[in-house]
Amino acid sequence: MSGSARLAICAVVATLGATCALLPLVDRTTWIVQAALLLSVQAAVGALARRIPLAAPVTVAAQVLAAVLMLTLVFAGGQAVGGVLPGPAVFREFAQLLQEGADDVGRYAIPAPATPAIRLLLVGGVLLVGLAVDALAVTYRTAAPAGLPLLALYSVGAGLSHGGGDWLWFLAAASGYLLLLLAEGRDRLSRWGRVFGGGTRADSAGVLAAGGPALAPVRTGRRIGALALGIALLAPAVLPSISGGLLGPRGEGEGAGDDGGTISAVNPLVSLQNSLNQPENREVMRYRTSAESAQDMYLRIVALDRFDGASWRASERRVTDVPEPLPTPTGLMPGVRTDPVNTSVSAASGYGQDYLPLPYPAERVRIGGQWRYEPEGRTLVGDHGQTTRGMRYQVESLMVQPTAAQLAAAPAPPAPLLREYTQVPPSLPKSVETTARKVTAGAANAYQQAVRLQDWFSTSGGFRYDTQVQSGSGTGAIERFLEDKRGFCVHFSFSMAAMARTLGIPARVAVGFTPGTPQADGTVSVGSKDAHSWPELYFEGTGWTRFEPTPSRGSQPEYSVAPSPATTDPGVPLPLPGRSHAPTASPSTGGGCPPQLKKADGCPGTPVQADSGSSGGGPSATTVALAAGALAALVLPVLPVLWRSRIRARRLGGTGEPAQRTLAAWRELIDSAWDHGILPEESHTPRQAAARMVTAGRLEGPPAQAAERLATAVEQVLYAPQPGPSGDPAADAGTAVAGLGAAAGRWVRLRARLAPRSAARLLWAAHRRRSQAAVRLRSGRAAAAARRVARAAQALRPRGRRA
Amino acid sequence: MTTYDERASHGGPPTRAESRAGGDLTATAERVRRSVEGVIEGKPEVVRLALTVLLAEGHLLIEDVPGVGKTMLAKALARSVDCSVRRIQFTPDLLPSDITGVSVFDQQRRDFEFKPGAIFAQIVIGDEINRASPKTQSALLESMEERQVTVDGHSYELPSPFMVVATQNPVEMEGTYPLPEAQRDRFMARVSIGYPSPEAELRMLDTHGSISPLDDMQPVAHAHEIVKLVEAVRTVHVADSVRRYAVEVVTATRHHPELRLGASPRATLHLLRAAKAAAALAGREFALPDDVQSLAVAVLAHRLLPTAQAQLSRRTSEQVVHDILQRTPVPDPFGHQPPGARRL
Repeated sequence: MSGSARLAICAVVATLGATCALLPLVDRTTWIVQAALLLSVQAAVGALARRIPLAAPVTVAAQVLAAVLMLTLVFAGGQAVGGVLPGPAVFREFAQLLQEGADDVGRYAIPAPATPAIRLLLVGGVLLVGLAVDALAVTYRTAAPAGLPLLALYSVGAGLSHGGGDWLWFLAAASGYLLLLLAEGRDRLSRWGRVFGGGTRADSAGVLAAGGPALAPVRTGRRIGALALGIALLAPAVLPSISGGLLGPRGEGEGAGDDGGTISAVNPLVSLQNSLNQPENREVMRYRTSAESAQDMYLRIVALDRFDGASWRASERRVTDVPEPLPTPTGLMPGVRTDPVNTSVSAASGYGQDYLPLPYPAERVRIGGQWRYEPEGRTLVGDHGQTTRGMRYQVESLMVQPTAAQLAAAPAPPAPLLREYTQVPPSLPKSVETTARKVTAGAANAYQQAVRLQDWFSTSGGFRYDTQVQSGSGTGAIERFLEDKRGFCVHFSFSMAAMARTLGIPARVAVGFTPGTPQADGTVSVGSKDAHSWPELYFEGTGWTRFEPTPSRGSQPEYSVAPSPATTDPGVPLPLPGRSHAPTASPSTGGGCPPQLKKADGCPGTPVQADSGSSGGGPSATTVALAAGALAALVLPVLPVLWRSRIRARRLGGTGEPAQRTLAAWRELIDSAWDHGILPEESHTPRQAAARMVTAGRLEGPPAQAAERLATAVEQVLYAPQPGPSGDPAADAGTAVAGLGAAAGRWVRLRARLAPRSAARLLWAAHRRRSQAAVRLRSGRAAAAARRVARAAQALRPRGRRA
Repeated sequence: MTTYDERASHGGPPTRAESRAGGDLTATAERVRRSVEGVIEGKPEVVRLALTVLLAEGHLLIEDVPGVGKTMLAKALARSVDCSVRRIQFTPDLLPSDITGVSVFDQQRRDFEFKPGAIFAQIVIGDEINRASPKTQSALLESMEERQVTVDGHSYELPSPFMVVATQNPVEMEGTYPLPEAQRDRFMARVSIGYPSPEAELRMLDTHGSISPLDDMQPVAHAHEIVKLVEAVRTVHVADSVRRYAVEVVTATRHHPELRLGASPRATLHLLRAAKAAAALAGREFALPDDVQSLAVAVLAHRLLPTAQAQLSRRTSEQVVHDILQRTPVPDPFGHQPPGARRL
């Protein structure tokens, strides 16, 4: 096999090795077969072109053409002429697919479904990287830089995926690259002919005899490669400071739970108990609100909507860009009273949580950083490691205040919602449902059932708030809690939500903070001990509605307090199957929380080291920096143009001494010629410069005469004892510059206007100032040193005399 | 040794002193130039340089292969100006006293009488100067530099204008004594005439075929006109920046890596004087950096000694001076030099 062919194969292998890192991003892996196939064809086209041989750029062009044809065939065959030849329709299709792909990437959590758009992105990207690798390593014979596109490809996969097996992908990508380097080194060695050294051994001698290249260096290369790989894999695992390395467990604080850790599927197993049992109440945030009473300002972090019988967790949801404003809350109808509330929140720098605490339902959120919106739970999720740490943000939210009558009269929720939010696992002990039915016996509607459940937990049921309870485990945890009647917010909220579901009321658990403690300055301080969870029940017309079953914590909403058992309007009972008003058996034995609830790890929101929050609002530093960057990006390119026009006006419009005006006009002419591509030569005298302008700038007639006249005037000014009368230097400069413009092509003219070369003087001036400053600094230091020496000498002198 | 007799100078219209380098003086210089160009076909720059050296009170070294008109140029220049001219054919047996003169005992007056040598003329043509012995060559030194001759303790002033036009043949080395550096330094400029172009050579065949053009030459300027011209040249203004530029160019030769010996301060002086003369010839009252540039090769190159390595790589002094001119920045009125500007 020729060296070139071996290199080409290695390039394909290296690209595929790096591509493996993308595998966890998509739920199906068949696309990689497609990518491998197309990549091989592309490499084969390159090999063929090199064999002919074609020039290097033509080879790359042929490969690009082949790639486009293949992509057309695979992704837009229907729109292509003859199924292969791409026409305008194909490119429109590609554009649309790419647009969709971009949307899909934003919409789906990882692993994303392999939609055609995402597949096009993946396969196209792999082909592009493959082309770059092939062109660099094989066509242009520089394998080392080919690592850059490979690294880019690997980084995409490694950066996005959070799953295990990272070390495997690293191994694949790194081995591919090393293979490529080895092949190139071997190819280069073989051009030197036979290399002596290590050839005494039979095996290498045999290969040498067969005409192969010297293998000893190749073998050394392999060893070095394997050693490097091994070190890269093992060293981070051994070193304590690097968080685990590729082989070790994942570091904490990345927002990844043990269920795969996607952005929308984080399981915030809130270690509320730990927070509540902290010896001191550290402030995690501080807010200022326009609400009349802060007692309903529950700050919600996340909604746990999946109940598996043992614990509640958040299901995997798609996240989108944060819309402005946020969509209307689910189920909220116009008849319900809503008061707008403005709240400015400032999170403590020690509070790092990747969900944003928000009052429910928020309508507008103004916040810097990278945040995504999860529509179902109406929560904001930090993207790319974004957390609440030190964030300041403003929230416009609604204070929903339904009347008891409105809640009681709530019609049936939509069927899909009802189905999803009333699911309970079969493993849930029957006693939970029977208890619920017993407690709510006699309630006329879902609202009354909810109120009775809340009352039972908070007052009549004999429950005690206790954060020191020993947790139980398994699906019997709720059952045990109902029997022991001791627990804290998690037990109360989980149990009430579960019981509501058994009664056919859509329910979920919200996690966040109770309103906190009002301060003297009008702000409200929220501490780590305010961490809380509460059930949210759904009522059509009002939407998700907060209840507060936990005794002695938070506040019960007005609409849920002391409802008249004899409701004037009995409302419409929810048409649920299996709904019974018969009392059920008492809760079974066993108590405590599911163990997951108390697990400290995996909870990104644990306010462990909450510092005191800083008050105040305003745009964040990132926003300011971004705005400044954008402004700079807009202004910087036009700076030379602005500078040039200002300088030109100043030089030609001067009213000073004639000599000064002549020199300024001359300077303008020199710089204009420079703008038109005639570089000023420092060894040229004025008349030589003018002559060069005339020849290089193809000046004729009046412009040429004007340039020469101006040069003569400059000579007079510079070298004559008394300068003779000069004409109108500004006019001469103008004529000559106009002549330069007229003789130059359109592109040169445009460039002279938009990107004047003479703007380099700006840089020179800056450089000169810096050098002068440096010289001053140095001389200042030297002078200071001299003074010190002089002082020292003076101090020594009397002693010398004495001696 | 062959000498031309001193010609009697005849009066002419006085040149207006106040016109300085302009007007009549320029016209006089132009007449001389045309007259010489009538003999030396197709070499205006050489003629101009010869005239420049004459007006700058310098001495000219013409160095070239035989037969290109070295002596012709010297003679033409001498004949165009109505002044005393002598020609010295340098031979190995030429004695210093042949040049400077000798004191002989006058029997009638019973006293020593000084018989002036060939140097006592306004234009002295030293033909094939490198054929004379170093002793004789060095006899020229004092007279060239100090414009006087000292014999037996008496100093004799040389007439004004005074110019030595020496010719030298660089290819014929046998039995010659190449001019030492000290003596070369006394020549303001060295010029090579070079072969004429085919057209000029054809024209030369037509005009020089039957008679020598020198025979018909008549003086077109008086000696005192030349003196006035020389005085006018002295008044030409040289701006500080031009002086600085000349100094920079000369200094650059002293640090150039391809040169073993750079130019002397006398070279700077000669360069500036020549620049002034060139400015006057161009009708200007002030010198330009352009004047310095145009004369730098002629004035500096013959004083420089290239290193052995430069000689091996066939770099000539002329090339080095060109190189220096391209690298030395002309004084920038704006004082804005790019960072890292090439300075020597």
